[in-house]
Amino acid sequence: MKVSFKLNGRPVEVDVEPNEILLDTLRLKLGVTSVKRGCERGECGVCTVLLDGEPAYSCLLLTAQVEGREVVTVEGLRGDELAEKIARSLVEQGAVQCGFCTPGFILTIYAGLKKGLIKNVEDAKKLIEGNLCRCTGYLKILKAVEKLLA
Amino acid sequence: MALEDPFSILEKYLSAEEYVVVGREFTRVDALDKALGRALFTEDYFIRYLQGNALFIKQVLSPHPHALIKAIHVDEAMGVAGVKAVVTHRDIPGVNQVGYALPDQPLLAERKVRYVGEVVALVAAESWEKAVEASQLVKVDYEPLPYVLDPLEAMSRTDILVHDEAGSNIAFKTRVRKGDVEKGFAEADVVVENEYRTHHQDHVYLETEAALAIPDSEGRITIIGAAQHPHLARDIAARVLGVPAGRVKVVVPYLGGGFGGKDDEGPLTISKAALVAYLTGRPAFIVYSREESIRIHPKREATIIRYKSGARRDGKLTAIDVTIIHDTGAYANRAPFILWRATMHASGPYEVPNARVDGYAVYTNKVYQGSFRGFGNPSIQFAVERQMDQLAEKLGLDPVEFRLMNILRPGSRTLTNQELDHSVGVGEALKKVAERSNWISKRREFDAFNKAEKRFKKGIGVGVAWHGISTSRGVPDWSNAVLKVEKDGSVVVFTGIVEMGQGSPTSSHVQIVSEILGVPPEMVRVVFGTSDAPDTGATHASRGTGIGGIGVEVAAGKIRERLARLAGDLLGVEPDKLVFREGRVYPRDNPERYIRWVDLVREAYARGVELSATGYFFLPKGKFDDTTGQGFAYPAFSYIVVVSEVEVDTETGVVRVTRVWPALASGRIISPLQVEGQVEGAVAQGLGYTLFEKLVFDERGGIVNADLTDYVIPTALDMPVVEKPIYVEDVYKYGALGAKGVGEMALIPLPASIANAVSHALGVNVTRLPLTPEYILQLEGVLRR
Ligand code: FES
Ligand code: FES
Repeated sequence: MKVSFKLNGRPVEVDVEPNEILLDTLRLKLGVTSVKRGCERGECGVCTVLLDGEPAYSCLLLTAQVEGREVVTVEGLRGDELAEKIARSLVEQGAVQCGFCTPGFILTIYAGLKKGLIKNVEDAKKLIEGNLCRCTGYLKILKAVEKLLA
Repeated sequence: MALEDPFSILEKYLSAEEYVVVGREFTRVDALDKALGRALFTEDYFIRYLQGNALFIKQVLSPHPHALIKAIHVDEAMGVAGVKAVVTHRDIPGVNQVGYALPDQPLLAERKVRYVGEVVALVAAESWEKAVEASQLVKVDYEPLPYVLDPLEAMSRTDILVHDEAGSNIAFKTRVRKGDVEKGFAEADVVVENEYRTHHQDHVYLETEAALAIPDSEGRITIIGAAQHPHLARDIAARVLGVPAGRVKVVVPYLGGGFGGKDDEGPLTISKAALVAYLTGRPAFIVYSREESIRIHPKREATIIRYKSGARRDGKLTAIDVTIIHDTGAYANRAPFILWRATMHASGPYEVPNARVDGYAVYTNKVYQGSFRGFGNPSIQFAVERQMDQLAEKLGLDPVEFRLMNILRPGSRTLTNQELDHSVGVGEALKKVAERSNWISKRREFDAFNKAEKRFKKGIGVGVAWHGISTSRGVPDWSNAVLKVEKDGSVVVFTGIVEMGQGSPTSSHVQIVSEILGVPPEMVRVVFGTSDAPDTGATHASRGTGIGGIGVEVAAGKIRERLARLAGDLLGVEPDKLVFREGRVYPRDNPERYIRWVDLVREAYARGVELSATGYFFLPKGKFDDTTGQGFAYPAFSYIVVVSEVEVDTETGVVRVTRVWPALASGRIISPLQVEGQVEGAVAQGLGYTLFEKLVFDERGGIVNADLTDYVIPTALDMPVVEKPIYVEDVYKYGALGAKGVGEMALIPLPASIANAVSHALGVNVTRLPLTPEYILQLEGVLRR
């Protein structure tokens, strides 16, 4: 079946299986490699995308479900001031180790800041709970957010 | 060329007056690419470059814990459209043997299977769906055998043998005999004896195992894959294929975490992809699902540790008697090395005059034991440090005070009777962290709090640990790197060390080159993780910087000697008086009389000065006697002390770790930001291990919780405050700039410190991990065991 949606600001049309998950469509068909595969059951957050501005696990979405909607990944935030600030802050604070989880964190934090949901570190903690990181222990990620709030 | 002697180079840079890059804030060079999603991991190479061309590999796993393989029928699977190969042990052109320590393990099961999840066959097809479909059509005739899951039972039985040819389920034994243990206990005024138990932990690197093999026209194969030692992966793959090692090349790209797991499973993953590519002549790609990853790859072992120790009234330890049993599972893998490490660390970082330690690695029909951050050491330090707290209590001494009475210091002899001549900063680290955490007043404050408060109890506990650097027992170990300076002055380094998040090639190695040659970091490129570099050993055992960096230091040091001589001639100055800094070379007393680095390099090219060098360094070691477990165990030890503060809800049994104070005596700190990252990451992983991460096995030894819904790892909400680490820079003369290694360290004493804090909070004796609410309620006597 054909599905059309907006990916990183551009309209795309892809031919997908009815049971195809968005993660596979993005990675395998559209070459969006910043969206990672970690568990395929909505537990780790490395497959996070923004769906109409909301963080969502692309492994739990059927591609058919995003018909007519807008999907954003870190590739689509190039040049976006807030996104670049977040990335820079993560880099400066040493919050990037293996980096496998980092694009997902950037999207979650981006959406949270954009919507004014992060007033303090506690808010950030709750917001990133759905993104796992096995390397950093999260503290430097939170510190990076804290620096942005200051 | 005495100036280029590696020993004099190491000595020269061990203690500079001032470091300008090393020990300073430094932004690792790979961070931005990773943040922006531009960094490529194994599967990304497949997607970018080989999709549509490479075959997909799906693995066929054993559903039995122990069974004979009577026949494998592949015809039906081969009949599925798009299926190009079904590979079983029969198809292996080389040797079907991948055991690292003992030759007991096939790549693909042969004759029998030994655990639920063992790989029996590989199906390769044009599409993922076809590979999955065909994998279900591979029919294996099994004859189930009786199986054994409990290591204690396995030890005492010979009617069920996991490996018939071994004649016993004890895969490997270790021992230490020091002094006179009976006499030691006779001298003791107090004796403590306990049995401790720890459990299996999964690595949960967020990137699962993957490899992409590409055959070329000349019978060579290149594999891009997730591993921690490209040369080992290459050698194993070459053995399986039956070709010379030089025909196989392994490149390890960015890894989404390793933690030891990819050191064991990586070469196997890579061999599977190589095998399919070799047999079909097509590129081949394998990736494990999360469930496959959890079922197949080796784990942090479960252990049973019986520990008896005694001390005199004056606070001196007199003897220890320890039995260590590791649940090794189906294959030895690195079990003997893990057991040796546990055995030789069984005293903790303390002086113990009399010791008996016996270690057993025991085969069972479960997923097998493997490398995991700490490598057999967290469980034994848990036992040691629980013992130390109880001895202190019996002696009426403060736990820190008692430890300080026995702590290793320069000149001390270890458990294996090895004399430590330098680089022993653990005592100072312990003193400093006790001070920083207000240890004494906190203990009192919490005691008072716990008397007054009913539901919530607070505790504070300490854990001290040591970790021998390099391989155990004087087994040969070395470092290497190739460094070249290009005509434009840029520097390229080749190393076999991989980048799995720790940042050695993208931070500390760059800093070392930048420091020694005085070039800006932007001019340095470290090509890592390739078997085309000289063998640098594995990126494990916290050695990526401390040992991996030696090769980089020595190679850079050689180039600097050559360029210093040239610059000395050009400037008419003694080479020793020159400073290399920020792209300039100048006499120390006259920075204005400089020659630019790029010009100096151009001169070198014009005058025939070679600007490529290798940094080979073979670590000096001593002799070790396996029968007594006495002698040279490790070149040096890295040390860490962790103080943890907890709050326990006695009604729910939930333990919350609120604050952690780390203090490292790990030699030179090259990259403070990355060291903090390693400490915080290890605290998270250790906290999961201590509180809730646990693999659960069913009655057939299958893993029940093989997904991240049921196997839960810490989130941001679980994290305590982690204070900035205290550094005692007890430099080690043969480490890179004196570094010893940090990656594993914080995980080693963390379980002990939390267990001690919980014991303090509740006034109980914690002897098991994990500290689940159920176990806490049992300790309180609320729940029955
Ligand atoms: S891959 Fe989607 S949440 Fe893990
Ligand atoms: S940096 Fe490795 S998982 Fe987060």
